[in-house]
Amino acid sequence: MTSIARPTSSVRKTTLNNGIAVIAVENPTADIMAARIFFGAGSRREKPDRAGVAHLLATVMTKGTETRSSMEIAEQVESMGASLGTDTAADYFVLGLKTVSEDFAQILALAAEILQRPTFPESEVKLEQRLTLQAIRSQKEQPMSIAFAQLRQSMYAEHPYARSSLGTEASVSELTRDDLLDYHQTYFRPDNMAIGVSGCLNSSEAIAQIEKVFGDWQAPEIPLPPEELPSIASQPGCQITTQETQQSIVMLGYLGPSVSMGEFFDGVSTDYASLKLLDTYLGNGLSSRLFVELREKRGLAYDVSAFFPTRLDRSNFVTYMGTAPSNTQIALEGLRAEVERLRVTPLTPEELQASKNKLLGQYALGKQTNAQLAQIYGWYEMMGLGVEFDDRFPEAIAALTSQIALETAQRYFLEPYISLVGPEKFVSAIA
Amino acid sequence: MAIADVWVRAGALAEPDGWSGMAHFLEHAIFKGTDRLPPGAFDLEIENRGGTTNAATSHDYAHFFIATADRYFQETLPYLAEILLHASIPDDEFIRERDVVLEEIRQANDNPDGVAFDALMDTIYQVHPYKKPVLGAVGELLERSPQEMRSFHQAHYQPQNMTVVITGGIQEDLALESIEDCFRDFPSPPSCPTSRVEAEPPLDCVRRRELYLPRLELARLNMAWIGPGIDEIHDAYGLDLLAIVLAGGRSSRLVRQLREERQFVQWITGDFSLQRDSSLLTITAGLEPVYLNTVEEFVVRAVHQLQTTPISEVELARAKRQLCNDFAFSTETPAQLAGLYGYYQTLANAEIATLYPQRIQTFEPEELQQLARRYLRRDCYAITIAQGE
Repeated sequence: MTSIARPTSSVRKTTLNNGIAVIAVENPTADIMAARIFFGAGSRREKPDRAGVAHLLATVMTKGTETRSSMEIAEQVESMGASLGTDTAADYFVLGLKTVSEDFAQILALAAEILQRPTFPESEVKLEQRLTLQAIRSQKEQPMSIAFAQLRQSMYAEHPYARSSLGTEASVSELTRDDLLDYHQTYFRPDNMAIGVSGCLNSSEAIAQIEKVFGDWQAPEIPLPPEELPSIASQPGCQITTQETQQSIVMLGYLGPSVSMGEFFDGVSTDYASLKLLDTYLGNGLSSRLFVELREKRGLAYDVSAFFPTRLDRSNFVTYMGTAPSNTQIALEGLRAEVERLRVTPLTPEELQASKNKLLGQYALGKQTNAQLAQIYGWYEMMGLGVEFDDRFPEAIAALTSQIALETAQRYFLEPYISLVGPEKFVSAIA
Repeated sequence: MAIADVWVRAGALAEPDGWSGMAHFLEHAIFKGTDRLPPGAFDLEIENRGGTTNAATSHDYAHFFIATADRYFQETLPYLAEILLHASIPDDEFIRERDVVLEEIRQANDNPDGVAFDALMDTIYQVHPYKKPVLGAVGELLERSPQEMRSFHQAHYQPQNMTVVITGGIQEDLALESIEDCFRDFPSPPSCPTSRVEAEPPLDCVRRRELYLPRLELARLNMAWIGPGIDEIHDAYGLDLLAIVLAGGRSSRLVRQLREERQFVQWITGDFSLQRDSSLLTITAGLEPVYLNTVEEFVVRAVHQLQTTPISEVELARAKRQLCNDFAFSTETPAQLAGLYGYYQTLANAEIATLYPQRIQTFEPEELQQLARRYLRRDCYAITIAQGE
């Protein structure tokens, strides 16, 4: 076991003998323990005709182990007032748990059993498969979710980022228990995982408890299969779904960088940092550019914003708003003008500083609860960024200049992918 | 980390007849500044220091908060006080912001769960203003003037209606001193029409409504029973426990039977939401339309069973543990604490909030059975069903 204590904080990284990385945070403010247990899995590790297998596995995983039935697991968790849940995203799979400190060892042991020895009972597979198919259909109830789904599809085509993590009706209906067993055997192994843990226990004790229940887990002889991801080609276009909603959803997307693309400044991609800054400038808060120009000054929208998630592969930089159908064209022009403006107009020194303050202030505000702390450190480790990223990211943001942001905008904000959802009369005219 | 969270007893319940939506619209307009602080200036002062700010309006309250690093607390609190006490609500900003509120209403109307919930509120309440959505009625919003909003603001944003909560790394004496400094010189209250809040009569039948919504893939079943207001807080906490026993987690009665065993529903949840008056215990499910009747009957039987058979010690212990831990998990951050104290102080008093776990521990099966008999009658509830067109 190797251990590195970071001098300036209570964050400690340890690697167990079987390869599991554990990041432990001591946070004595409340009698709570939270852990987030990550695996290098998720949609990115799915074959297209098995899309949704990671999600289905996540839902069935907590429903049976070699020694416990679904109801016994639920009763144990709920009788301790704990929470234990699994989730899958594009780049990872995670099991999260939260307890009061005296119950931590017991719930952690249950989590270890669920992760190492799930049985995927056939009846539970069938139940969750049927409910997942329903959930896929229900995604069509929300205009925003339709708009984002068709945007993703057009940006990523065959790449897994194109899909919802639920999978498609076609792929999910073909999944079997054997698919879950196969996926579990392939990706759930100690050399493909990282654990973030935070709470009132001292970190040595937290790590000892983790070692006790995960320390004997051995990685199989065969190495992890290499990732086989299709490349992402840029082919901007316009996607439209017509429906008689009260608002049109207007969404513009640009292919962005991954978290580690392009040139680096002290361990952080400058492209990534620049687009995080521009995302903040455009879409974050009541003083953001989109909010002020399109909502405050023109009253076009209630919800108008931007997002740029942190991804292992090429991410998407998206701006969007919901607006009265008669404003669809104006909204599209407005969003587009604001993004393209960043290619020609550098941020003023005041805007640059304000965006940095906002981004860094909110970054700090996002590390308060034990669940947030366990998430961020475990996730950084799983993404290969390391806990150091937590210090380096703010430094990289602080070092950005308006010129760098401008040049980054010029490289990424080219032709937008457009997605429209709304009444036919107003959205069809735009293509 | 410092939080300033200001709660005002000026939610939708304060709205006179014909002014529906005013409290929420005012919450938007307050951010438009004062004679000394032009539109947008408040947002910049908070956000340029790396802080965040937002607000929310309900029937029982409106509240406004800022979150900043400790060192900015003293610099930013005056701005929050300034907009809350002295919002000028310029005519042109009123008109422009009204468009934003209309967009918010359109967006809400495109959300089937929101539409179904509004229908449930309108169905279960007969006279109480909880009937009406907080966002308001478009027709009434369009009839109100900036001057009327100013009078509503100045009449209600007064010291006796206001709670200022400070949490985080701020010394108590500094917090009190800063509040004294900032929250003074309230405008003298003008005349403003007052609201009428009639006590809701007990529900004496099943009130039913069916909706047909476009694009709905899954039917929604929303059922509700009326509970006590905050002045009977002990009873309310008992209903909190009963909601968990019914449908709080996979081991609860309804989730276990209807989702896991019989597989009639996609999801089902139970919730008790504490309000100033006539709180609600709700059971909500998403399901295929073919199971609607069966599930309704099932829920009614499960509710009735709470009256006839005391819940087991094991179930009770589990429900208590779930609620007490949820309380611990939801009081982790200064922002959560500020919200909790502000909410209770606005409806009753803040001390109650800290007693929650102790109160929950006192319940015995027989008392819960009595509460079920009093509040959860099998022939007195409201139900709304939403299905695809």
